[in-house]
Amino acid sequence: MHQRVLFLILACAQVLGYAAQDAARVVQSTSAAANASAPQPAAANGLDIRLPLQSKSIRFAVIGDSGTGDRDQYQVAQEMETYRQKVGFDFVIMLGDNIYGSHHPNDFTQKFELPYKPMLDAGVKFYAALGNHDDPNDERLYKPFNMGGERYYAFKKGDVAFFALDSNYMDPNQLSWIDQNLQNTKSKWKICYFHHPLYNEGRSHGPDLDLRTQLTPLFKRYGVNLVLSGHEHVYERIKPQDNIYYLVLGNSAKLMSKDLKSSDQMQKGFDSDRGFMLIEIGGDKLYFQVISRTGQTIDAGVFDRQAQPSATSATVH
Amino acid sequence: MFIWHIVRNGCLCCAFLAAVSVVGSSQTSAVAPVAVSPASPADAAIVKDFYARVSNYLDLRKKEAGSSPKPTNSAVKLAESKNEMAEKTQTARAEAKQGDIFTPEIAAYFRKRITAALAGPQGAKIRSSLRHAEPLHSMDLHVNQKYPDGLPFQSVPPTLLLNLPRLPKELEYRIVGRDLALHDIATNIIVDFIPGAVPSS
Repeated sequence: MHQRVLFLILACAQVLGYAAQDAARVVQSTSAAANASAPQPAAANGLDIRLPLQSKSIRFAVIGDSGTGDRDQYQVAQEMETYRQKVGFDFVIMLGDNIYGSHHPNDFTQKFELPYKPMLDAGVKFYAALGNHDDPNDERLYKPFNMGGERYYAFKKGDVAFFALDSNYMDPNQLSWIDQNLQNTKSKWKICYFHHPLYNEGRSHGPDLDLRTQLTPLFKRYGVNLVLSGHEHVYERIKPQDNIYYLVLGNSAKLMSKDLKSSDQMQKGFDSDRGFMLIEIGGDKLYFQVISRTGQTIDAGVFDRQAQPSATSATVH
Repeated sequence: MFIWHIVRNGCLCCAFLAAVSVVGSSQTSAVAPVAVSPASPADAAIVKDFYARVSNYLDLRKKEAGSSPKPTNSAVKLAESKNEMAEKTQTARAEAKQGDIFTPEIAAYFRKRITAALAGPQGAKIRSSLRHAEPLHSMDLHVNQKYPDGLPFQSVPPTLLLNLPRLPKELEYRIVGRDLALHDIATNIIVDFIPGAVPSS
């Protein structure tokens, strides 16, 4: 009897040991710094949810290059709605190219209102940034995009300030506006989002170097925490640059297959399907999860809020 | 209720050059000062002439076609408003031709500014940004015609914009191939353009 109990204890210990080794291997393979705690996977009706779903947290979804009106966009939107019902995000930020091609009224229906109808009906708000395929006149005035009639604007959710910029036309007026508004915000978190990425390892477009030259000094000076961009039709998590996190998500309908080059600058890349991102911010943690069109988790992890310029850390699993 | 605020460009309004004309609209700041001061009195006169022509265009457009509508849920209303504004503007400027705003002197000034920016310390980055911005090479521009619906816009590098006279919010510069266009956002009309404004190398 004692031998049987001992055997069971040893067997369990071995299984747990394998599990721990496996978990460590997964973390190590994708982690920038493995010294912070990461959210544990939680199954909800078969969904792989990697967000902690804390009370009073800020939760939102991110889509980029979404407005094709084709089947892929609708499939991604359907997967978003499935997750929304469990995760409970109440707004979506759009990283540009919200309406591809013509901008006739029917395009707004087919490329935005219909694919996201369940979310719109549930009261989810969409906050758009302009891409190079967007019509700056029609879209800034289109109320469901919540741009307030402007090409660039800011809004706040809890302790998070969002700055939606127009990277198509970063003129001196907009640069002054960013400078002034970043300086004035008292929010703990500052998130900037716009279409053209400052860092990216895609073959099709690559980074916008001139835009980087103008924006990154402001982002550093005022402690921007996270920058989100689209344009390159892939997903990329960039190694933090100057203590700022950079994520690229331009594959919410379009896809540039096998577009990514391997690079030390890229911590995670995904260029084989479409997807969207979920973000939850609670206290000093920002949790993210990137989900493919077919419901696979592509990337997930947690960013610590940058208290000091040199205190960047990120854990992924 | 979650909208924090939308504050736009207000701080810039007090520093305008004498040449600047104020363009009234609830969404519109006045024409802002040139980012880089003209190097000579002759250049200052050219910039002053440019602003006067821009102001004349906007005065005419607003008189004949009005301004952009307020934000609406209806894409149909937006399309109708834009088309109506465009038709009225096109009718009012039926005789418009290339060079009305970008006169030879003004075009030469712009070419000089663009060439200087491309030859400056950010020149390589400007060129890189232009290459990565989905450039359009096969589109002919026509004054007083609409920018083709469905075609993407090529982004304009910020350092280039810093070297050009600032525009009122109703207008923007657009690069199409090597041409520089003056684009009316609300009507989607090409107001004027400079052929070959961006040097090829």
